[in-house]
Amino acid sequence: MSRIISALSRHLGEVAFSILPAIPYAPNEPNRCPGIAVSAKQLTAAARLDGPVAFHDATFEIPCGCRTALIGPNGSGKSTLLRVLAGLTPIRSGEVLVAGESPRLGRSRLAYLAQRPHLTELFPLKLRRLLQMGTYAHHGWFEECRHGDEVIDRALTRLGLADLAERPVHTLSGGQLQRALIARAVVQGAEILLLDEPYAALDQPSREIIDRFLFEEGSAFTVVMATHDPADLGRFDRILEMRDGTVSTRHACSGHDHRHA
Amino acid sequence: MLDLLVQPLSEPFFVRALLAIVLSGTTCACLGAYVVLRRMAFVSTALTHSILPGVVGALLLGLSPYLGALVAALLTAAGAAWLASRKGTSEDSAVGVMLSVMFAAGIALMQQANSWRDFAGLLFGSVVSVGSEDLLVIGVTAAIVLFGLRVLHKELELASFDEEYASLLGARPALMRAVLLVLVALGSVACVRLVGALLTTALFVIPAATGVLLGRTVPQVMAWGAGCAILGGFGGLYLSYYAPAVPSGAGIVLCCALPYLTARLFAPRR
Repeated sequence: MSRIISALSRHLGEVAFSILPAIPYAPNEPNRCPGIAVSAKQLTAAARLDGPVAFHDATFEIPCGCRTALIGPNGSGKSTLLRVLAGLTPIRSGEVLVAGESPRLGRSRLAYLAQRPHLTELFPLKLRRLLQMGTYAHHGWFEECRHGDEVIDRALTRLGLADLAERPVHTLSGGQLQRALIARAVVQGAEILLLDEPYAALDQPSREIIDRFLFEEGSAFTVVMATHDPADLGRFDRILEMRDGTVSTRHACSGHDHRHA
Repeated sequence: MLDLLVQPLSEPFFVRALLAIVLSGTTCACLGAYVVLRRMAFVSTALTHSILPGVVGALLLGLSPYLGALVAALLTAAGAAWLASRKGTSEDSAVGVMLSVMFAAGIALMQQANSWRDFAGLLFGSVVSVGSEDLLVIGVTAAIVLFGLRVLHKELELASFDEEYASLLGARPALMRAVLLVLVALGSVACVRLVGALLTTALFVIPAATGVLLGRTVPQVMAWGAGCAILGGFGGLYLSYYAPAVPSGAGIVLCCALPYLTARLFAPRR
């Protein structure tokens, strides 16, 4: 009897899912980026709707595949700029295109990691499920995740988390969690990573793994990273310096060339 | 011993009560998982208490008490959201204002109806008077709530765990919160007959809190919670059957607290 019921419900479920719009899971395709990842003209924005302007008249370009450091003192607007690019903060004036479109929510091509992610504490969630959330970008409403197991396994391995897949998320260390969130962005298929001081309060092993992932393994990501560490600016292709409400570019980007050489 | 368990089952009202407990206990425990994880216990208290003026008002107007309860609960949720949308009022105090205003309105209406005794069942629950019509309402609400939780599972889970990522993916966390409040309103309507307006919130919070101690994923939390609610519900019913001095609503809540305490004392440290 129970076997009949379970077979029936599975069958009904498949019928229901075949009617619902299925969006195929799209694994990360390198170099889909249309040349310029981010271009800003006369961009002005504020952290809060009625707050003071964080930066004004910013004009800069970030080519695809370029690793960009965002530097400047505390309160210079680094976080606001990243949130603008992610579509979380509206702009006041000017123009900005991210991967050829105005910033908006609901895009799978870019991922944003806040400096302190606001995750609900003690939430019953295993690491694998956290990564699976990345696939939601490619699922419609009402659709349960059905795709992406290999992508998840690959992302776990690349960020050194393969042994922790079944661990509850709240038992992970800060560094493991940071790596997990980057892995989720990989599963999501993001091409542009917006990282807000990812190295703040990170243990050395986690830092090395993230470093290797972002800067060595021939990754095709476009990275925009707010950072305070003057020592590792040499690894970036381009440096955007934010000071007193202005943004200036310090370094030309060599684009894809040196990575594939 | 077995006789003690079987004998009440020959009474139709007792079987109806058991069925009602299974349905609304499962509903409340599953919803309660999100209520507890998202720290919405206070909002759920406000929604369940605001059922009072809804039911009394509906009875005065000659409408269905369930309709009145639902409208009042939704009004409370919308009112609290509206009050909190202005700067200077935190959500906490907005909910507090709505809770006390609605409950006071309920008491005023009860005075109007001039009979406190009729409403004792509404305040404290009277599971023994569950009729087949009540059972139908409870069944339909349970079906709607459980179906909603099932089809929106990944959106609700994501929005509850990581609100910012949910909005980045376009999963509308604010909408999910509103959906959850509507479902909680529906769930409280399903429970008010069993444990009363004053104690309905216990069915949302206690079983789910037990589930959080024992479950490692959201569905596990819901399953443990439902088990705890059904166990506590059955215990409370038998308790008030053999000890009529204990009202059924109070008995159910007290018996739900036992699995919670057990889990609290013996659950493996997380």
